[in-house]
Amino acid sequence: MAVHAPAEARRHVSRLAINRLGLWLFLLSEGFLFAAIISSRYYLQGLNRPETLNQVLGLGITIVLIASSLSAYRAETSAAHGDQKGFSRNTLATIIFGALFLVGVSIEWREAFHQFPPYTGFGTIFFTMTGIHAFHVLTGLLALGVVFFLGRDGRFTKGASWGVEGTVKYWHFVDVAWVFIYPTLYLVN
Amino acid sequence: MRRASPRVALRRGLWVFIALVVLAVVEYLLTLVMKSGNLPWMVIMNIIDAGLIAYFFMHIAQLWRREE
Repeated sequence: MAVHAPAEARRHVSRLAINRLGLWLFLLSEGFLFAAIISSRYYLQGLNRPETLNQVLGLGITIVLIASSLSAYRAETSAAHGDQKGFSRNTLATIIFGALFLVGVSIEWREAFHQFPPYTGFGTIFFTMTGIHAFHVLTGLLALGVVFFLGRDGRFTKGASWGVEGTVKYWHFVDVAWVFIYPTLYLVN
Repeated sequence: MRRASPRVALRRGLWVFIALVVLAVVEYLLTLVMKSGNLPWMVIMNIIDAGLIAYFFMHIAQLWRREE
């Protein structure tokens, strides 16, 4: 049995490397989707944007999403070191921050429907970009919820927490996408 | 790639978070100050943002470093 241990460990490492590469390729393909919708903003509207955009709300939800990335990072670190309590606490915090972000987007949508409805040029871009991104946040929240409950059942242990790592990487990607979407919609002039 | 101890990792995460918030606020203030032509500055700051998240939070270096 002991003779097989190094081979088993090597297999685990290579499986992990393949998982990571696969996830990064998936995220790259998602990156192309966001790059396409971001470029459509410049193609259709140039650098114009309405003055009525709620800038403070935009900055606020950006900071909330960045905070969720910090708690997600902490959850991953805790899981990787076998800290069950830290994992649960930080995953829950990430879910709350993510839900807060969606509440912020819904408030922005309510205002946007009056100021630049979806049939206007900027409205089309605004609702498409924030809608696709919010859908990614929603799927990320679902994945975090699954990971949270699996983790509470003790499914992730020190050195065997790929489920957490993969979900958290996806969550960070959603943050990266927003980092580009936020200035594209709210700030560029 | 050896993982940093939890304490070091958490402190590093906090610094990255602070840097990201500062960049977001600087972008916002830049928009208030510059009434036009802020696109190049936004692109530079967005690339820094994405780089920080990809390197520190997403551990992109795991792709080319060997596990121990």
